[in-house]
Amino acid sequence: MSDAVHELLVVKDLSTTFTTMGGPLPAVSDVSFTLARNETIGIVGESGSGKTVLSRTIMGLQPRTNVTVTGSVLLNGNEMVGATESFKRALWGTEVAMVFQDPMTSLNPVMRVGKQIDESLRVRLGMSKQDAKTRAIELLELVGIPSPAQRYMAYPGQLSGGMRQRVVIAIALAGSPKLLMADEPTTGLDVTIQAQILNLLDDLKDRLKMSVVLVTHDLGVVATRTSRIVVMYAGRIVEIGSTRDVFSRHRMPYTRALLDSSPKVSNASHTRLVAIPGRPPNLLQLSAGCSFAPRCSFATDKCHKERPELQAADEPGHAFACWNPLPTTMEQQS
Amino acid sequence: MSDSRQPLLKVRDLKVTFGKGRHEVSAVAGVSFDIYPGETLGLVGESGCGKSTTGKALMRIIEPSSGSIELEGSSLIGRKGKALRNFRTHMQMIFQDPISSLNPRRRVKDIVAEPLDCWKTVSGNERDVLVSDLLSKVGIDPKVYGNRYARQFSGGQCQRISIARSLAMRPKLLICDEMVSALDVSVQAQILNLLEDLKSEYGLTLLFIAHDLAVVKNVSDRVAVMYLGKICEIGPSDALYEAPAHPYTKFLLGAALEADPDSPMHNQVLEGEPPSPLNPPSGCRFRTRCPNATDKCASEEPQPQELAEGHFVSCHYPLTIQKK
Ligand SMILES: Nc1ncnc2c1ncn2[C@@H]1O[C@H](COP(=O)(O)OP(=O)(O)OP(=O)(O)O)[C@@H](O)[C@H]1O
Ligand SMILES: Nc1ncnc2c1ncn2[C@@H]1O[C@H](COP(=O)(O)OP(=O)(O)OP(=O)(O)O)[C@@H](O)[C@H]1O
Ligand code: SF4
Ligand SMILES: [Mg+2]
Ligand SMILES: [Mg+2]
Repeated sequence: MSDAVHELLVVKDLSTTFTTMGGPLPAVSDVSFTLARNETIGIVGESGSGKTVLSRTIMGLQPRTNVTVTGSVLLNGNEMVGATESFKRALWGTEVAMVFQDPMTSLNPVMRVGKQIDESLRVRLGMSKQDAKTRAIELLELVGIPSPAQRYMAYPGQLSGGMRQRVVIAIALAGSPKLLMADEPTTGLDVTIQAQILNLLDDLKDRLKMSVVLVTHDLGVVATRTSRIVVMYAGRIVEIGSTRDVFSRHRMPYTRALLDSSPKVSNASHTRLVAIPGRPPNLLQLSAGCSFAPRCSFATDKCHKERPELQAADEPGHAFACWNPLPTTMEQQS
Repeated sequence: MSDSRQPLLKVRDLKVTFGKGRHEVSAVAGVSFDIYPGETLGLVGESGCGKSTTGKALMRIIEPSSGSIELEGSSLIGRKGKALRNFRTHMQMIFQDPISSLNPRRRVKDIVAEPLDCWKTVSGNERDVLVSDLLSKVGIDPKVYGNRYARQFSGGQCQRISIARSLAMRPKLLICDEMVSALDVSVQAQILNLLEDLKSEYGLTLLFIAHDLAVVKNVSDRVAVMYLGKICEIGPSDALYEAPAHPYTKFLLGAALEADPDSPMHNQVLEGEPPSPLNPPSGCRFRTRCPNATDKCASEEPQPQELAEGHFVSCHYPLTIQKK
């Protein structure tokens, strides 16, 4: 396929369903998007919208049992869906690597951070002990850790949250991956540290010619650092487009509601926020219609009964799933 | 202006120290502020700067090491036993983690009634009516949900229940510590709007502690910025956000991300991380990261100076000009 040549990542009709006590739980449904080389795409949505499950499915990191994955994930031409563990293992680290939200869960608390980086280098790249150590210290320096040779000896618990996240990024970069999946990489960090980490990711992306999938619940994180954005709701893409189109020319009421309910630093004090009533649906009890219908102020009968598919908007690459889309700027003017 | 009003809460040189000797941490290193009746004072700052410790010291959940706290002119320090508990009914605190701050094995209406039952202010039918009323006020239907257990609720609903419980004793001051930090934006907006409504209905005064600068801006009349156990700047929120006078406030605001692709990319990022409170820098505590620091900053601690009505900054070289 020609897509695979130009695009680093091609996700097509991807669905991940868990088998649970309460029945099948569709955590990700019919997700399709592509990511070019050296591009950053943002995936935004509220808690439970399926962002983490989607990222893990792209990596091929789902649990061994009680899960069904359908569709396709082509990563640099390699099909991840249905691939064997050993096939995926060969790609982890060198083709794709992941940075999780909580650095403590991805670091071993009783192992020196330097050793943890060494290990990735030796296992993934077959480096010698001495080369691995030299490279590990270089990587610590690359991610902006002061006195890297000393920090090489530190245990994770001796580092601050921001420093630990830098270590996790260093480990992810050890195999020079082409794609970095960053799942809430700055959630829980202070704003000044968040700014440092996001700048670091931006800078690394350009220097190492990587592509980045930036997953977050925070629209502020993706506003200035992505070229395109995917908005997820209840496991589905409800809007996708260039960052500018999603922020300024969104057609899906949920996208608008998400933007309106976010407090802004530029608001005058006591600005009343436009809250979205209710909360996201229970994925075990999804209706046949639009998942947002119970909370949507534009919902009509049809919305409750029939699910809107993604349809193309005027701008290239911009699509939304809604029966009663918000007017385009042109329509608003006339 | 501000001094003509009587503060509801007056805090002077409040200090809280943890540990001893080499391990001594001055978590709150002498903070002073007033909260006026009916206003919301926001308290912002990065992790570990002492926001929660300040809130808990006001409630005397943590014992302050020194300083004074006055509520409507009477001192809270030195009160013990019944006298302290009595005072505490005037102040309530709501915490970040809504789910763990509610007992999962109790029914919602009993959780809300906890303070009433404890103080035995009302009983029987009167108690039930009051509880139902409180639950309705926070948007939880008492008939449908009153008998359910707290564990069956989402984070947002738990936070509504916490609010209902905190209002049961009709407190004068509500201390909210990161109360919306764990919630999704759409639910966060519901809770913030609810808080604004209840604030005017119950005539509440709020100390709103949060690390999210946008959230704090949206709810506060005045904002205090903390760094390493001290308040470095305090002032009316619009003025402070518009023209921060302390270099730290400027960096902090600069790092806040707006959900707007046209918002300027802030290239001026604050480098490094806050120093350990075990060993704070001499003079100005921000000097080790401040681009404007001089020798004076290392040797002399900057005292609060008033730049404009009610706008105080503790910096030898404030970024905006001092009023004459
Ligand atoms: N192993 C699993 N078994 C069953 N259900 C699961 C499993 N993992 C995730 N889920 C469910 O899938 C849905 C999507 O979860 P996911 O973690 O992807 O959300 P998210 O968008 O990452 O949310 P958050 O912002 O809270 O991280 C949720 O309803 C979750 O409970
Ligand atoms: N019980 C305690 N014993 C020892 N040190 C403590 C204790 N509680 C807090 N500290 C220390 O006091 C300082 C201030 O902590 P505090 O929890 O007040 O910060 P905070 O501003 O609320 O941070 P966050 O935004 O992370 O909630 C920190 O250095 C912390 O490690
Ligand atoms: S006193 Fe000095 S170090 Fe402190 S904030 Fe002002 S200029 Fe910076
Ligand atoms: Mg997640
Ligand atoms: Mg705290």
